[in-house]
Order: sequence, then C-alpha cells, then structure tokens
Amino acid sequence: MTRRLLNPDQKRGLIGSAMLAVLILVIVGAYALWGESYQARILYATFVNLIVVVGLQVFMGNGNYATFSHAAFMGIAAYAAAICVTPAAVKALSLPDAPWGLNAFEMHPLSAALVALVITGVIGALTGLFMSRLTNVSITIVSIAILVIVHSIFLHRTDIFKGNQALFGIPRVFGLGHITALVILAIVAARLFRESRLGLRLRAVADDEVGARAMGVNVVRARMIAWVVSTLFFATAGIAYAFYLGTISARPFYFNYVFLTVAMLILGGLRSVTGAVFGTLLISLGLEIIRWLETGPTLGGVKLPEMLGLSGLLLGIVIVGVMAFRPHGLMGNREIEDIVFRRKKTTEVSK
Amino acid sequence: MLEISGLKVFHGPIEAVHGIDISVPEGSCVALLGPNGAGKTSTLSAITGTARATGTIRLEGRDLAGLDIEDRFRAGISIAPEGRRIFANLTVFENLRMGAATRTDGGIERDIEEWLSRFPILGERRSQSAGTLSGGEQQMLTIARALLSKPRILLLDEPSLGLAPKIIGQVFALIEDLRHEGMTILLVEQNAGAAIEVADYVYVLANGLVTRHGPSGEFGDGSGLMGELTGVHD
Repeated sequence: MTRRLLNPDQKRGLIGSAMLAVLILVIVGAYALWGESYQARILYATFVNLIVVVGLQVFMGNGNYATFSHAAFMGIAAYAAAICVTPAAVKALSLPDAPWGLNAFEMHPLSAALVALVITGVIGALTGLFMSRLTNVSITIVSIAILVIVHSIFLHRTDIFKGNQALFGIPRVFGLGHITALVILAIVAARLFRESRLGLRLRAVADDEVGARAMGVNVVRARMIAWVVSTLFFATAGIAYAFYLGTISARPFYFNYVFLTVAMLILGGLRSVTGAVFGTLLISLGLEIIRWLETGPTLGGVKLPEMLGLSGLLLGIVIVGVMAFRPHGLMGNREIEDIVFRRKKTTEVSK
Repeated sequence: MLEISGLKVFHGPIEAVHGIDISVPEGSCVALLGPNGAGKTSTLSAITGTARATGTIRLEGRDLAGLDIEDRFRAGISIAPEGRRIFANLTVFENLRMGAATRTDGGIERDIEEWLSRFPILGERRSQSAGTLSGGEQQMLTIARALLSKPRILLLDEPSLGLAPKIIGQVFALIEDLRHEGMTILLVEQNAGAAIEVADYVYVLANGLVTRHGPSGEFGDGSGLMGELTGVHD
C-alpha cells in the first residue's frame, strides 16, 4: 500500500508556514527599504533565536516538557563549525595548544556545517538514549545537567574552546539572506513535524501517556526522534551564529540565553509553531524598545532616567504574566491559518 | 476469539480478580456486569496489558503473556477506556488519526471521513479540541477512535458512565449496530439492563469472582440482577 507524501494536516501546515514565511519576508523587506545598517545585526540575532525557539517547540512544545539544554547544543555546533571552518593559519594563533591536530586543518563552510550538524546530532542521540526514557521532572533536571556539563567543558578546555575568551578569526560567510532562508526552512520543518504521525503521537503522549501507549504509540521512540530533531534545529542556529559573528565565546551559551528563548516560547504558546514565531518576534521587539528606554532617552521633552537591568525584568514579567493569565500562551493550540481562516475555536484544555 | 482462563489481576500486593474464566467468541458481544469494585476494569486492564496478571489470555489462540501494551494493541485489542480518555488538546480529527496511528494502509483518511459522517456532530467539530466536546460526543469519539485501528476485538469500559439517558440510548444503539456489523465486543457495564439487551452472553462479576454466567436471555431485563448487584431491592 502506498502512503501519500503529506497528510491533510501537513498540507494545512504548509499553508500556515507560507503565511509565516511571508511575515518573515515582509520584515526583511522593511529592513531593506527603511532599516539602518546596525539593525541588520539585531535582525540576524532575532532570526537565530527564532530557529532555536522553533526547535524548542519540536520537543518541548509538542511533548509538553520543560528542557533547558538547548544553549549547550547550540554551543557545541557553533564551536564545531568554527573550529572546522577557521583557516589553519588563524588557528595557529587562536588555538596554539589545540589537541588532535584541531588547529592543523581547515574545511569548506558547507563541510564544516555538516560536520557540526553530525557531531551535534550524535551527541543529541546519545543524550536522547536516556532523555527518552525519563519522565517530566527528570527530563527537566537532566537537561539542566547537560547545560551545566557542556558549559563547564567549554570553560575549562581552554585549549579547544578558549573558555570565556573569544575564539576569533571565523570566516564570516553568512548574511541576512542565508539566515532568512534558514528561518523559513525551520518554520516549514517544524510545522511538518508537528502535523506528522510522530508529532501527533508526541502531542497525544503529552495529553495522556498511558492512553497513547494503548493506541500502540512507542513513547520512547517518539521522544527520542523528537529530541534529536530538535537538537538539529539548535545546531543550525549555532552554526549560523558562528558564521555571522566571526567570534564566539562560551558565555552566550548558558542560562541567560536559555531563559530568553524559553520566555519567547512560553509567550507565544508551547503547542504552536506560530506561537514560537510570534513569541520570538514580540520579545525581540520588546527588548529593543527596553534597551532604548534603559539608556534614558528624552520622551516628549522629558528626560527619562537611566534604567539598567530593565530587560531582565521584562523577561521575568513576561514569564510570570503569561503563566498567570494565559498559561497556554498567545496562541494556545492554534496555528496562524486557524486565525486567518477563522476556523472553529480550538480552545486549549488544561490537564 | 478471546479466551481467558484462571485470570488473577493484581494492583500492587492486592489481588483484585481471583481466577476467572471468560470466553468471547468471534462476532459476539459479551457483557461483563458487576458493581463498583467487582474487578471489571481490572479484567480489561489485564487484557490490554496495563495491570499485572497471572493466568492465560489468548487472542485467536495466541498467548498474550509477555506482550506489552503497545504489542497487544497491534495484535488487535483496542479499548474505549472508562471516563472517555480522549486526547483533550488534540482536535477531533487528530484524535481519530491517533486511533489509526499504527495503520500503514492508505485508507485511513477515508475511514476517518466515514466515521465523521456517521456522527455528523463530530464531523461539524472536526477542527475543535476534543476537550470541548460534551460527554456523549466524547464517548462517540472514543469508540470511533478505538475502531479506527481495525481491531480484532473491541473492549468497551463503562460506555454509559455519567451520560444522560437519551445519550446512553444513542451509545447502545451504536454498540448494537457494531454487533450487527460483526464486531467482536467485550462490554463492561454497571447499567445491566442496557447491556443485557445488546449482549449475546453475560458474565456477572462480584468481589473478583464470576458469580453467574449464561446467555443474555436468561437474565430477563436485568432488573433482578441490578438488585442483586447493588443490594437494592424493590
């Protein structure tokens, strides 16, 4: 018997992804027309975050787990790609003590990206072996442990990662065009995954694990695949990050970044890819406004005081506020096409 | 079709069912009646593989011992569980897709559409979260979902529980239809009257033992049995 390439829900997902892609292209277009050059960096960072948050939706959102290790996987890929792609001559300066001949070779960016994806995917699969067999609270705790372990390796193997010092000289091969294409690809992939048999199973497990098993669902397998797939999203984001900035250090791949991206997903709504996109865009915009407020601008003739630390406050308020007043985020179970086509309300139900 | 012998079911150290024999012939509807705590749901849990049990359970001659819950489902045992355990955050359509999660043939969408037209109210609400359905609609959904796997045998756990009398009538009309279509059904119920009406054969369970069994005709309209089971006599 043949099975069709896409099921009806996935076809609907493609329509929804196309709408989100248009939104992304409108933002890029607006930048191209009216933006200032410093905003390219902000936009690029927003899009890197978007890939991470959409990747979070794959495992954390569909499975309704809380995980905090994504910055670690992003860091692994960023370092792997950076070490592979940086010219040997530069590495002789930046990583003079690197073991295993890490400073004696260089690769084409595409090969470097592939190596980084494979390494992150393999580490994802290895950690997935136990992550997929754990239950909710243990998944959260182990994910934090992964984050801490990876971060301390980054910090203490200074011969490979340079710790909190910058690993410099990475060829800057990516621009806004690359990241735009990757973001759209990530959105499409996440939507297709969400509506796939596997995504559906994972969402069913989130509602009722025993019930899902009684429908023949292999819960461990579903969790394993979703976990590895989500690490590949983080890897893509990490590679894009390294290929744009040209310099990386261990500091950004830690708790601050984890909370930023988790807040984005929570604001938009864990269960929806559209929610992941909206949450990321809204918080990114909100942070830019706050950064401007922090500097103490003059508003309507009134000079505001400098208010440093306001951005951290915003993230806290967003998480607490959404949890208290809208626990399923802005989108709940809905995707963009549900709103545009005004389909019957799909109210979210708490367990 | 389904042969159970010497079945004991345990919840932790407690033995809930003390060695019962039940036979469900192919194409028949067998009712398992009894009051709360008689061991009816425990028996179903033993069949689906969610409770620890000893004794033998054979489906079409195949011993199910050692098969876990997923494998038993694949072997053809499908349950519409008690309390209408739908996936509340999935839509009606997605719940039905879950029923066919293990199928690999190309007829899944056609079968789902068939069920949605059989229950027009579900058809109207196909894109709605299943958690927003009424109790009766959820019950129809769990039964349709259980059947979408094309099971060899359908287990129904208290399908009338908590439903209005009119809706109970609709649920049992559906069970009657399924029986006429040749579905093999093991029906667990407290509503003895309605169950006896649709069943071919009846087992009465009390305190973990089969106290009576026989063709449904022997049980009349079930009113005497209700008194016997609940201890309430007119």
